[in-house]
Amino acid sequence: MIRLYNVLKSYGKSSNLAVDNLSLEIKEGEIFGFLGPNGAGKSTTIKMITGILTPTSGTIEVDGVNIADNPIAAKSRIGFVPDNHEIYETLKGNEYLNFIGTMYGVSASDLKTRVEEYSRLFAMTDALPKMIGSYSHGMRQKLLIIAALIHHPKVWVLDEPMTGLDPQSAFQLKQLMRKYADAGNTVFFSSHVIDVVEKVCDRIAIINHGKLVAVDTLENIRKQNSESLENLFLSITSDGEPQ
Amino acid sequence: MKRYFALVKLLFTQQYKLRPKSDERSSKKKRVGTVIALIALALCFAPTVISIAVAIYYLGRLSEGNVYVAGFLALMCQGLVLMFGLHTVISNVFVVKDADKLLYLPVRVHTIFLAKLTVAYLNEVITTAFVSLILLLPFGIGAGASFGYYLMLLVAIATIPILPLFVGCILAMPFSALIARLGKSSAVKTILRIGLYVLIMAVYMYAMYSFGFYTSTPNGNLMDDPELFISNILNDFVARLQSFVPYLHPNYMLVSSMLAKTFIGWLGYFAAAIGECTALFAIIALVSLPFYRRMLSTSTEGYGATRHKAKPEQFRASNKGVVKELILTDFKRVARDGQLGFQSFAGIVMLPLIVLIFYFIMGQSTAEEASFLEFVAVDPLYQVVAPLIILAYMTLLGAGTNVLGLYPISRENKTISMLKSIPVPFSKILLAKVLFATAVMLTCDTLTCLLIVLLLGVKWYCGIAMLITMALVCFGAMCVTTLLDLKDPKFGWTNFNQSLKNAKNSWLAMLIGLLATVGVAVVAVWFVIWYVVMPAWYVMLLMWLCIFALAVGFAVVAYKVMVGKSQKYFDQIEA
Repeated sequence: MIRLYNVLKSYGKSSNLAVDNLSLEIKEGEIFGFLGPNGAGKSTTIKMITGILTPTSGTIEVDGVNIADNPIAAKSRIGFVPDNHEIYETLKGNEYLNFIGTMYGVSASDLKTRVEEYSRLFAMTDALPKMIGSYSHGMRQKLLIIAALIHHPKVWVLDEPMTGLDPQSAFQLKQLMRKYADAGNTVFFSSHVIDVVEKVCDRIAIINHGKLVAVDTLENIRKQNSESLENLFLSITSDGEPQ
Repeated sequence: MKRYFALVKLLFTQQYKLRPKSDERSSKKKRVGTVIALIALALCFAPTVISIAVAIYYLGRLSEGNVYVAGFLALMCQGLVLMFGLHTVISNVFVVKDADKLLYLPVRVHTIFLAKLTVAYLNEVITTAFVSLILLLPFGIGAGASFGYYLMLLVAIATIPILPLFVGCILAMPFSALIARLGKSSAVKTILRIGLYVLIMAVYMYAMYSFGFYTSTPNGNLMDDPELFISNILNDFVARLQSFVPYLHPNYMLVSSMLAKTFIGWLGYFAAAIGECTALFAIIALVSLPFYRRMLSTSTEGYGATRHKAKPEQFRASNKGVVKELILTDFKRVARDGQLGFQSFAGIVMLPLIVLIFYFIMGQSTAEEASFLEFVAVDPLYQVVAPLIILAYMTLLGAGTNVLGLYPISRENKTISMLKSIPVPFSKILLAKVLFATAVMLTCDTLTCLLIVLLLGVKWYCGIAMLITMALVCFGAMCVTTLLDLKDPKFGWTNFNQSLKNAKNSWLAMLIGLLATVGVAVVAVWFVIWYVVMPAWYVMLLMWLCIFALAVGFAVVAYKVMVGKSQKYFDQIEA
């Protein structure tokens, strides 16, 4: 469902590589966890998958569509929850969802049904008529989650999705991710919270200094290493400066 | 004191700081381009600025450095400083938005307030320095002032802003309280801000007009004895100034010290001026501090919208089409953002206001004499030339002041990544932005054309022709300015005014407007000559048809260039 071939990214004319020759393949029905310390290249990779950044070289395919050749078709297949919560503060929640629905070409009747369903799930029904500027961190996150799902994307990409969520919403999100993947879609998410990754993911990848250092199923990782995922993560990512 | 200075430094430099550029070479190239554009524009505006400075020079010479005239010029400076600075005083001092960033610091509230007030004052000092170069400096040269005058000019630049700051705070306090009371009615707040701005501008213009030369009805005739005629006007003018300048005591003391002939005189006036200005600043601080504390407590302890139960509302889905939705969303965002809304929509009333002022100055008639306007409007050539001149002003000012068209990408700031992630062709996003900016500019142009037809005696069909031309030129100009902003957007601001401080786009837009005007002028001049020789209706018709063709060509080419280059620049944005 998501394929990255030898993806390389450097910002501006800098010679430092934010992402260095990354190749990955994420299948249908899979929840894929993307781990790495701060500045490892997780967000840059996600931004390239979602079309926000253009790779310096390499190719990215989403549901068989090359994002460089056909960005609109590729973006239509993605639902994206960013980590920065930068949304239009002077819009109301429902205005924002209407905006996103129109941008993704969702019909009015589908939009209404889906918004009502997801807003009930995340306890956001009362908050939608209010200005986004008045929302708490967690409420913004929930709005972004709803907005990412209203067009029923084949690929759901989440950057640090658990940040700011209350326990109930975090639980609902984990359940929803599982349900979404089981329906034949792909969930790709980055996180620092090893505990969540262990509980939710089918497969994980660890990135450090822009390079992929490990990728496998959790079962295999556990078989090969006697230590916990947390210890493994710490030992892999505490290897000093990049070469 | 250390903390106070650190805060002043932080708040002052924050206004001008943006995210650093990564590419040193290309930024150098851009800087050179900007400098060249600024020089070109300065050359274009030089005649206007120089003619004002020359007029003031002669005023200084004829009045022989009259203290009342100098006081009037100081007041002119203060009016301009108030107009440009009031919005900053309201938004930076009294509308408390940064409480969360400052209140946890181990600094007293009064130190924070004084630092904010000082930053507002420093901004006004910068404006005063620019205005003084055109008003007080040529006056001194014309009056043959001594070295002391120029030395005191530096003191004047530091003290002149005190009075506008005082008036600004007096006006800003009830206004900010009203704004705070309005809670979430952001659009109403924007309208109120624009209303206040218009009121200040109108009062200033009216006051300057009331005391200016225009109201003089001198004895004598210019042709019989020009010197006597001018001297009569000047005497009338000074007599009127005498009746109010001394009442603005700090000003009066300041100009008296600038023009003092003796050391004792200078020392007395100087001490009085400094003492009065210091007292005024202290009064501002003392009066405003309790109010600032109240605003601070409202902002930190006031209601959070999330705590209030909103009326239960069913979600209403709508699907308006991508471009329409983009425009409507943009409109809501701009109208509900106080700063952005004010900066974007205040321009709508500026041009109509200038037309009104022009009408009041030129359209005054008496029972015996027709006004200057009535006199020129009867000439058939007026219907050809006047619309062209007004069109030039509309293009120049309209393009340069339309914030929506100047910063369509920069104002997205961090939300640009959202626009990059949605599955909509970027050309559509840009088209929506250009149409929105053009619609706002056309609102201004429609009002302007209406006033021109109703008040300035321009025929209705000329008004319609001007409007059609403006719609096309606006669209083209907005395409160019949008592309310019897309090429070099300013992200990373925390306060929208920060991105406006870098007024490069505005100057470039004026340059584009100027080039469009030159294009129209080159075509129109031949028809004007033709009309002088043969004043027939079809000459005017042909002229407008040619102008339309030119405007259509400009709009189409500008749109195609924007669409052609936009994707490349859009991809270069690394959000």
